Amino acid sequence: MRASQTTSEALSSIPDAEALPTSSAHARKATFRDFLDQLRDAGELTDVDREVDPRELSASVAQASTASMFSSIKEYPEWRVAGGLLATRKRLAVALGCAEDEIGWRFEKGLTKPVDAVLVDEAPCQEVVLEGEDVDLTALPYPLMHRFDGGPYLSATCVVCKDEDGHRNVGSYRLMYRTPTETGVDLVSPSDMRFHYQRKLDQGEPLEIAVAMGVHPFEMLAASYKAPTGTDEFAIAGGLHGAPVELTRCRTVDLEVPADAELVLEGELLPIGWTADEGPFGEFNHISGDVKWNPIFRVRCITMRRRPIFQFLQMPWENDWLSAPVVEAAGLQALRIASVQPRAIRAPAGGCGYWTLIASIKKRPGEGKNALLALLSVAEVKLAIVTDDDIDINSQDELDWAMALRVQGDRDVIVVPGARAKHIDPSVRSWEMGKGGLPTGARLGIDATIPEGIPTKLYQRLEYYKFPNGSREEEM
Amino acid sequence: MNDLALTIVRRLEQTPSHFSELVDAAPHVAWRDFLHAWGEVRAANVLGRDDDGRYVLTVEGVV
Repeated sequence: MRASQTTSEALSSIPDAEALPTSSAHARKATFRDFLDQLRDAGELTDVDREVDPRELSASVAQASTASMFSSIKEYPEWRVAGGLLATRKRLAVALGCAEDEIGWRFEKGLTKPVDAVLVDEAPCQEVVLEGEDVDLTALPYPLMHRFDGGPYLSATCVVCKDEDGHRNVGSYRLMYRTPTETGVDLVSPSDMRFHYQRKLDQGEPLEIAVAMGVHPFEMLAASYKAPTGTDEFAIAGGLHGAPVELTRCRTVDLEVPADAELVLEGELLPIGWTADEGPFGEFNHISGDVKWNPIFRVRCITMRRRPIFQFLQMPWENDWLSAPVVEAAGLQALRIASVQPRAIRAPAGGCGYWTLIASIKKRPGEGKNALLALLSVAEVKLAIVTDDDIDINSQDELDWAMALRVQGDRDVIVVPGARAKHIDPSVRSWEMGKGGLPTGARLGIDATIPEGIPTKLYQRLEYYKFPNGSREEEM
Repeated sequence: MNDLALTIVRRLEQTPSHFSELVDAAPHVAWRDFLHAWGEVRAANVLGRDDDGRYVLTVEGVV
């Protein structure tokens, strides 16, 4: 890492932030590195010592049964790389400290008790600083992930911007390598950052952003959450931690980033609109995707920890599992606002943790439909299924049984046309729109609860006549 | 443009290519050198895309 070595030496007077005293004013939240230890302790992270080329990282992680921590990166001796950290529901449950079927409830609990972020002066993420001529994105082990990608991509990003009133917004956006100082950024879908960028674009001005990478999964989850405009996603992350996220001021933009991030890019989205080719990228819908037209991110400054850990998301799974608890929590909230009692909720992998929501409820008359209307209001959910609470929604057979015997297609199916949709769903025909256009699509709800007027006793499950001693094993 | 960047351009003159196909065509090149060269091609504003997302040259006589 030629450029950073020079800068590292220049900054050698900065003390190692890990040696600094912890502030006694607030509890310390867990860091990205703490999470790596958690995964190791759970047997879910393998340390890989053999040298790996950045072009091979994603393919290597795809064949691993655990997350991977690479300590030797070809041509990048100062870097380590972590991948696949959240590639399964189990690893996400490790991060959240709960059972796999509780991730939505756990995330929702964090949402209800936000903890404001705090500002700190010293920051590990600024142990090394590259500015001016030293800015060079090739100094990062930028991974080439999929065969049809438009270039190497940064994926595990926590992107910060502010609105005109100074309210912070945090989201996660992919960044395609273009030149040593520029990346593409996927800003096609509706988001707060897209809104803020459009406002700046109308004024002919750039939008300052900062990209933090190598942050704790709670910061990533909060960034994935479509928080109400004006809500600080870092406060949501603080709610998940039960302790504030420590932020530090960026060096070249008026923004703050998690102080314990491994890597930070500072710069601006150029006021060029949706004009630059970006993609394809192996999308979270498990499809290669296509070329999109997007703005360009120009990098002014790169800061990082010493001996940093570069994180990438193993697509599609990590994106799916970052989405699932967020969508599930939003579903729980929507049900409660609709005065429906949820018993279980699941955004299954088959729906990419995003498009499908299945819930069981403690039903009162009419609430099968109320629940559907609530679930179909969540993000871009296009298929919602509601069952009674006697159905185990984690069992596909149980779900199929409920849909087979409790659903009449002319009574229990709702279709809502013309709702907000997502570009990367091929069925919305986004290619028919112009650059920057937003697609719409239909939402489908299936009420698989016992219909009103049908006696519950008609669904009495068959029971086997029992062995006298209770079980076959004991009898034989 | 450096020699590697010119090599990339020559290939694109002959064959529209996915990024990974350009990488495959230069198997012994250090990753960082490849990224620098790609950056030079990008900065020259000579690239377009075909319907399948492959890179194509939009300007003749670059090399």
